[in-house]
Amino acid sequence: MRVRFYRLIRDLHLYLGLFISPFVLVFAISVFFLVHSWLPRIVSETTSTRTVSALPLPDDLATLSGRPLIDALKPTLKKAGVRGEVGFVRHMVKEEKLIIPVTIPGRETTVSISLANREATIVTREAGLANALVTLHKSPGQHGPDIRMNWFYMRAWRWMADATVYLILFISVSGIYLWYVLRAERRVGVVLLFAGALSFFAMAYALVH
Amino acid sequence: MPSFIEPRGGPGKPPNVPRFQAGFERWNRKLHFYSGLFLLFFIWLFAFSGLILNHPTWSFTEFWKNRKQTNYEREIAGPVLEVKGDLAQARQIMTQLAIRGEILWTTTRTDPNQFEFQVRRPGHFFFIKADFARKRVTVQQSDVNLWGVIKALHAFTGVQMDDPRNQRDWALTTLWAFSIDAIAIGLIFMVLSSLYMWLEIPQKRLPGAVVLGLGSLICGLFCVGLRWLF
Repeated sequence: MRVRFYRLIRDLHLYLGLFISPFVLVFAISVFFLVHSWLPRIVSETTSTRTVSALPLPDDLATLSGRPLIDALKPTLKKAGVRGEVGFVRHMVKEEKLIIPVTIPGRETTVSISLANREATIVTREAGLANALVTLHKSPGQHGPDIRMNWFYMRAWRWMADATVYLILFISVSGIYLWYVLRAERRVGVVLLFAGALSFFAMAYALVH
Repeated sequence: MPSFIEPRGGPGKPPNVPRFQAGFERWNRKLHFYSGLFLLFFIWLFAFSGLILNHPTWSFTEFWKNRKQTNYEREIAGPVLEVKGDLAQARQIMTQLAIRGEILWTTTRTDPNQFEFQVRRPGHFFFIKADFARKRVTVQQSDVNLWGVIKALHAFTGVQMDDPRNQRDWALTTLWAFSIDAIAIGLIFMVLSSLYMWLEIPQKRLPGAVVLGLGSLICGLFCVGLRWLF
């Protein structure tokens, strides 16, 4: 029974670990970009601009804000051929303009719609893989919960990010069990566990107090 | 009981691999769980804080509404006015007020007599306004609960990608930032060492390749596939 349980945990540790390893790499590699505020330019960024006219606009545009505004603008963006996660929409009343930022990991698009003539200028910036990793690392994030995750794929990413955390927690607990059954490694393991805990709490204490 | 620590060939059997390779395999396994054990609390912090940062609607993790706020005013002594530069002046004021933390620049200075900045460290926010003409400084201090500390530790790097003005200026921020780097390196090592261990077990290669392939496919969709599809 004990051997069977051990084998089950060992296999789950292995297979679940293999499944989430690409996600762990995404989070771990993007850490360097975020901590050092630096993005490697593997390929040069490209920016393109195009114009689309005769765009459909929601009738109650002036009264909408937040998520209802984003939902109402989706047919407009579809007509303009722009897909992705819509950010904070700015309505510049005086200029009669609507600025809509749309993001796909690694691509940032700004749609500027002139409300008077229903024409949009669309600027698309291909920002590359490093930018995509940073976007994914920060998504969904703590800001703008009312408007964010308005694109199916970013909602799916949220599920995957959550699953990564739950699986990491499982893998760490199962890893402790797999280490603990190795009697010869217990002493070294306990020393390392204690050293790690001491480093962690000492550093957290120094930062907070 | 079979284990991941045993050299290839199993216990009591002569290893059928060169001595160097056997040693490498053994140490790869050992270092895999040694690094996991050492980094355990750091990994739990970043995993758990990542989860709560991704769920800002979880009301039990609310920290800003439950903050403890104190306001006070102090006199500032002469040396502050004599030092040159925003950073040096901010440090002088912080020394006089016995405030420690990472300086955050949020406003642009227009009047040389008025000086505004923020100081942050996990759990504490200081909003500082100095009036050099009156030689007074007002401080609004906000102390937040454990949830606020956990969330702050996740992103406490002292830099912001879209704001080059903010640079690390507190030694402990630098230490924490490099610790985050070390944790990331540790995680990358654990992933690579696990791939090596998996490949050592022939009977697990196929099912392992299926789950690894599935994970890579899904992850690849988000990293590069979405740009290709849309």
